[in-house]
Amino acid sequence: MTRLRIQAINQKYVRVTGINSLLAACLQELPRILESRDNPSAQARLLPPPTAEDAAINHEWKESIEPDLRHLLVSASETITRDLTCLKPSPRLAECSFVTFPATHISAWMSALNQARLILAALANVDEIDLNLPYSRLGGEKVLAVLQIDLFGQLLGRFVERELGPAREIKPKRPKSKRRTRP
Amino acid sequence: MVPRNMTPSNATGQPGVIQTDETATKEELSTPWNVVVHNDPINLMNYVTMVLMRVFGYPRAKAKKMMLEVHNLGRSLVWSGGREQAEHYVHQLHGYQLLATMEKSET
Repeated sequence: MTRLRIQAINQKYVRVTGINSLLAACLQELPRILESRDNPSAQARLLPPPTAEDAAINHEWKESIEPDLRHLLVSASETITRDLTCLKPSPRLAECSFVTFPATHISAWMSALNQARLILAALANVDEIDLNLPYSRLGGEKVLAVLQIDLFGQLLGRFVERELGPAREIKPKRPKSKRRTRP
Repeated sequence: MVPRNMTPSNATGQPGVIQTDETATKEELSTPWNVVVHNDPINLMNYVTMVLMRVFGYPRAKAKKMMLEVHNLGRSLVWSGGREQAEHYVHQLHGYQLLATMEKSET
């Protein structure tokens, strides 16, 4: 089985390799999924109010901040949509694809993949229980939505791992030992 | 960003002169605001950790602890301070698509 990998190319570019045919098909669908951001349930999740109760602050936020946030979401979508036109079959690995894009686009990729997961969940009413069920027990449109959420999550997880770097475990502190005095 | 408690002056009667309720304004400015991140089963756990590190500059261990609090308890108070800064952080967190709100501190 080919492993999904993210490699730096000359510090300026990033190459994602080992994209299997299923993930490649889902990535081709990504721009269409992102276009659903204006669906009311998707919009409610992507652009939530800043307070639970303060109507004045929420109203002001909607007027002055939301357009900027929406612009951020759209901008990330446009970036990934352009980059995905370079998704190509791998010359070495059968059934696999790869894509190369500028390293400065990594944040846009993470944003777009996360947006897509949230939109899919909002549109298909996917909850925590659905995410933990085997695909065979999911009915209707939830099967495809959860499959896509999982596949985009695999790729997003790789980007996050790369950003975070290797995890360093914190060693537990040793109990202070009593200082010994020389006889 | 949201107008403070400002009321037109009746005493002066001058057009365009606005008198602020100074006591209320001072109180409002001094009340700390909490930034709270809420649980969302769709967001990846390490994604939430990464966002808290990026937005607040927290070390990984602290960000992870807060992420686990969000995951296990449904919410975590991730920052507390002035209102404008709280708005700025919520803006950033929403930019990363985290469910975040700000609320007046009760203490």
